[in-house]
Amino acid sequence: MATMENARGKSGGLGHMLYDERVRNVLYQLITFCTVGFLAYYLFTNTAHNIEARGMSSGFGFITQTAGFDTDFKLIEYTAGQGTYGRIYIVGMLNTLFVSVLAIVFTTIIGFFFGILRLSNNWIVSKLAAGYVEVLRNTPLLMQIIYWYLGVFALLPRPKQSAELIGGSLLNNRGLYMPSPIYGDLFWLTAIAIVAAIVAVVMIRRWAHKRQDLTGQIFPVFWVGLAVLIALPGVVFLITGSPLSWEYPELKGFNYQGGVRLPPAFLAMLVALSIYHSCYIAEMVRAGIQAVHKGQTEASHSLGVRPGRTLQLVIIPQAMRAIVPPMISTWMNVVKNSSLAVAIGYPDIVSVFMQTSLNQSGYAIEIVGMTMLFYMVVSLSISACMNIYNKRVQLKER
Amino acid sequence: MSTVDTAKLGGGAPDRPPPIATVGVIGWLRTNLFGSVVDSILTIVSMVIIYYAFSALLDWAVFNAIWEAENRRECLNINKETGTSGACWAGVIIWFNAIIYGRYPYEEQWRINFAFIVLVLWLAPMWMPRVKEKLVYGLSAVVFYPFLGAALFAGGERGLFLQIMMSAAIVFFVYNCVNALVGLLSGNDLPDTLREKLGIQGKSDKAQRNILLAIAAVAFAVVFALTFTWTVPNVTWTKWGGLFLTLVISGIGITAALPGGIVLALGRRSQLPVIRVISVTFIEVFRSVPLITILFMATTMFPLFLPEGFTLNKLLQVIVAVCLFNACYMAEVVRAGLQAIPKGQYEAADAMGLGYWKMMGLVIMPQALKYMIPNIVGNFIGLLKDTTLVSIIGLFDVLNIIQSAISRDVPWRGLHKEPLFVGALIFFIICFAMSKYSQHLERKLSTDHR
Repeated sequence: MATMENARGKSGGLGHMLYDERVRNVLYQLITFCTVGFLAYYLFTNTAHNIEARGMSSGFGFITQTAGFDTDFKLIEYTAGQGTYGRIYIVGMLNTLFVSVLAIVFTTIIGFFFGILRLSNNWIVSKLAAGYVEVLRNTPLLMQIIYWYLGVFALLPRPKQSAELIGGSLLNNRGLYMPSPIYGDLFWLTAIAIVAAIVAVVMIRRWAHKRQDLTGQIFPVFWVGLAVLIALPGVVFLITGSPLSWEYPELKGFNYQGGVRLPPAFLAMLVALSIYHSCYIAEMVRAGIQAVHKGQTEASHSLGVRPGRTLQLVIIPQAMRAIVPPMISTWMNVVKNSSLAVAIGYPDIVSVFMQTSLNQSGYAIEIVGMTMLFYMVVSLSISACMNIYNKRVQLKER
Repeated sequence: MSTVDTAKLGGGAPDRPPPIATVGVIGWLRTNLFGSVVDSILTIVSMVIIYYAFSALLDWAVFNAIWEAENRRECLNINKETGTSGACWAGVIIWFNAIIYGRYPYEEQWRINFAFIVLVLWLAPMWMPRVKEKLVYGLSAVVFYPFLGAALFAGGERGLFLQIMMSAAIVFFVYNCVNALVGLLSGNDLPDTLREKLGIQGKSDKAQRNILLAIAAVAFAVVFALTFTWTVPNVTWTKWGGLFLTLVISGIGITAALPGGIVLALGRRSQLPVIRVISVTFIEVFRSVPLITILFMATTMFPLFLPEGFTLNKLLQVIVAVCLFNACYMAEVVRAGLQAIPKGQYEAADAMGLGYWKMMGLVIMPQALKYMIPNIVGNFIGLLKDTTLVSIIGLFDVLNIIQSAISRDVPWRGLHKEPLFVGALIFFIICFAMSKYSQHLERKLSTDHR
């Protein structure tokens, strides 16, 4: 039998070779590769031809050219007519990251708050939280952004009638004005003290864990840590003679000068992104806590652990395993959705680089590529962090 | 336990009803609203919040609202006179037609309504439990309906291909309707009923099939001839807008994304490295960038990619971009569904001697689809909401009509809140209904024994 098969296999030639799985696999891959390669080549030649035919310029030389427009908000020094397109790229990147990071912090806090409310035994509270989630989740983010921008922050009073907030901040239709810190000569000592305090807290925590493992005694890490965090920098700050003062915004003419100004578009972006994504996080928190088996609580109670400690030591660590991965992808969505800033004119990377710079310089392919590269790098680094986290918290099954 | 025993033994007092505080309305209030002091405070605080929120909303939207006015100034004046702030619905009412249909000519709007009704009738049998072979309805709608839609929405001169496909779509539509009706009434499908009525059961299978095919061909020829000279005026894509445009883009996006997503997901799980690498790269690149960058790419770079003299209009550029983008998200949904299938199913299919495509089509996909449904619907909701992004690149979808058309119309300049509220309401109703339906479907299809 075997010899017959062999004989046939050898004499079959090309027709039979197709029935060999290895041959077929290679063939499939070759076909796919050629198709994709041909498509890429086709697009490339078309593009090259079109660029030539339209007399468009290409290459990355434009990065060092000066850009002629200004942005409403920037975190680094940039002046219109002097700064380059490369600098605009960095301005846009930093603006995107700035609003995204702040929104991520707020959205996580708000999301946890509503997620826990959603789990409340109180019927009305849980329904209220559910209503919040449903309303936000089922309306488009862009609509919410425009609502916050046109319906709230644009309707604020004029600078003369600014609303005064705590700490000398002012809110009007030109944005939020906050006092800016002016650092004195010896402020760096306080900064060092803050770092030292953080290191000290981490070390105290480690020591307390070790001691608890050995003796079973519990050390009040939280309160001691808080004391160290406040006392050490505070004492250094006072000893060096309080080297920090504030510059307050002042009304000059029709507008405020001095201090830090956050434009309305930024505020609208921040509020809309934080609130929109918080409903997704609330659902994740709810699902995550509900996913912890009830037996875990009962087991913990039967061991004599108090409810508060049960939550802290048993429920939350297990719930986090279910909450964190989807939460990080929500964070990624915050970064991606911050690109909608282009609709209300917050100078994020898409708005200043992909729209204004592209229209002015005309280097379509380079600019689109660079913008996408930025988002890809951010996404890939966030997912790399997530993989590390997942490896650490994965259940180690025997 | 003990109460039963005492009752038996001594014939003593009958069972007393449970304490009034634990049953009925009072019991419910006790356990759910006023369980403890903190609970009671929370309840009262929530009620106050709800009261203020709703009364403010109702005052604004209903009681103090202005339904008739010439322009925004008039609304503001009325509000000033009464000293209240009410919504100015008058502007929204005047613009409501545009919110739904965009700038589609008024006298041609019946085409959109008609096409919508056709779609509903086409798909309705899928929700009727007695109708068999539901896949035929879905697939025929996906394959043929777009051509009917294109012929109706765009109008104008049709090419031969479009004429053929449109005729086929009409034949299919009529067949589906009659088939569903016959199925509902008699429980048989249309071909069987025809066989009976024509009295051809006695003939061979082949002869029967040929007769039925001949009937279908005649029907097609009749429809083709009847519709050959029938045209409706051309409405260019620049006039499309409003909710209609939103639904067109997201509808095409989702139907194209599903097959694309399946192909990409199978590619990603393939054993063949070249196919896997290409699929993974494609999926990850599109998933890691925001949709708006892809839309910008579509409008700036697609003209460069295509050969000279061949141009896509902006609507097509957007649709292609949305399809590519969504296919990558759908691929991850499909992949998650495939991963949920136990390995034993694959092995069992292998052991039965099924090839790759039969294994996927007959064993794996039908099971995986069940896990995928909630996520597919979630994806569709996301896509529907994301379609508002096309307003940024200048298509007149719902948001763009609301945001720029209305508030730039001279009499209504500055009217933002009311149109946005209506737009949000439209999206909320559609999305909320879909998400509730998908939850219902999930429960219905669930075969877990819980």
